[in-house]
Amino acid sequence: MSLRSSAIIVASPRPRVGKTLLARLLIDYQLHNERQVAGFDLNGVNTSLAQFLPDYVTAADIGSITGQMALFDRLVADDGIAKVVDVGHETLEAFVTVAGEIGFAEEARRHGVAPAVLYMMTPDMTSVEAYKAMRKRLPQAMLVPVQNMMLGATQYHDKYPVPVASAVPVRLPVLSPALRKFADRPPFSFAASPSEVPLDRHLELSHWVRRIFVEFREMELQLLLADLQSSIQLQS
Amino acid sequence: MAKPAVILIGADKGGVGKTTVARTLLDYFGAHQTSVRAFDTESPRGTLKRFHPDITEVVDVTTVPDQMKIFDTLGSAEAKVTVIDVRAGLLSSTLQALTDIGFIDSAKKGQITFAVFHILGPSIASLQEIAETADVVGDASYFLVKNFINNTTFFEWDPATYNSYFKKIRGAMEIAIPKLNEMACEQVEVASVPFVNFIGNKNGKGEPANYSFVLRGYVRHWLGNVWNEYDRVKLIDLVAPKQEGNVRQAAG
Repeated sequence: MSLRSSAIIVASPRPRVGKTLLARLLIDYQLHNERQVAGFDLNGVNTSLAQFLPDYVTAADIGSITGQMALFDRLVADDGIAKVVDVGHETLEAFVTVAGEIGFAEEARRHGVAPAVLYMMTPDMTSVEAYKAMRKRLPQAMLVPVQNMMLGATQYHDKYPVPVASAVPVRLPVLSPALRKFADRPPFSFAASPSEVPLDRHLELSHWVRRIFVEFREMELQLLLADLQSSIQLQS
Repeated sequence: MAKPAVILIGADKGGVGKTTVARTLLDYFGAHQTSVRAFDTESPRGTLKRFHPDITEVVDVTTVPDQMKIFDTLGSAEAKVTVIDVRAGLLSSTLQALTDIGFIDSAKKGQITFAVFHILGPSIASLQEIAETADVVGDASYFLVKNFINNTTFFEWDPATYNSYFKKIRGAMEIAIPKLNEMACEQVEVASVPFVNFIGNKNGKGEPANYSFVLRGYVRHWLGNVWNEYDRVKLIDLVAPKQEGNVRQAAG
């Protein structure tokens, strides 16, 4: 399995924890690797992911059955296009309910698409409980906690157990305020060489992007390993 | 030889979902590898036959030749279970005809397993139907089906009144058919295939189809809940006591 045929859900029940930034980076990671990617923005009217990467992101809606079809039918399609979904905190419950009811993760696996949930760790109980519930409600999806270093260096790993012992959370390194003022202004792609970033900041940005891309590469390997292990268990 | 089983599905009012319930039953028995045949009494055109053409025959249950076609073949038919989708308004008269031909007596003697699925409408008149059929069904297994598939609400019913009618039939059991998403329901109608085919993304001939995964997911979830109801009332034990199987696998 590689992220080439994957459906990655970026989730948290909390606002402003870095979900959209992570989703942007995931899309840019695919573009950096010259892979096809489609992003879906489930943030209601505040579709900032779509504003940052308008060529790759579609505003999605799961409030209606037609919206659910437009989203989930594409997520499970084995078309060689990696899918990234930025699930807004207000939409998370509805998303998990629908996904669980229609058997999204099972169907994705049946089509050779690896479903994964990248879950932003925060110390609050709401988030911890939602993480536990997610494990039960979408057991076929690989659950990967994400530590956003911009929220502080505190470790919450004990509250966010991973399904595979060898798996480690993805770390989103701190982006300096000097770079944030460019990166937070849409449209902006980390994969391209943004002309609006001055030359003296380019190196810093490249270094930061490389760090997070290495994290994604590690995560891909973890997912691949987990998938191999489950395949071996099924065969034995 | 196994005892034949007859399931009568009826209501004295149209549009309450008789054929939908019949379709879920045919899928349910199919998933349990229990051979089943169906008679659609919406002569000359049958809706049930559109969904299950291979095992359904359209008959006019009010005529003697067609009554013979159904009931004289119970012992000899390959199918262990016979499902009869009774046209709206014919439930009471069909039950009366069954009494006249001695079918009800045979069921009382234990020669035939007989079950009635009485699909209730939301009006008070439905309760009166229970009273009318209660005297005729004898020892049949009687299932009162509340069909919520079209978002029906039974708000008109006073629980005390309903219970008084419910108790008129000894051993009656209630089955609730949950609501199915309207678009999913509509798409299965358009596809004109059994629910299990739709879930499995197959057309009527068993060839790959291209139905929406979301709609298939909703139908799978809904059908699973309907079958849970049939499991709860031990339907398979009633019609085919030795059968065992995993229904959910077949649905998936």
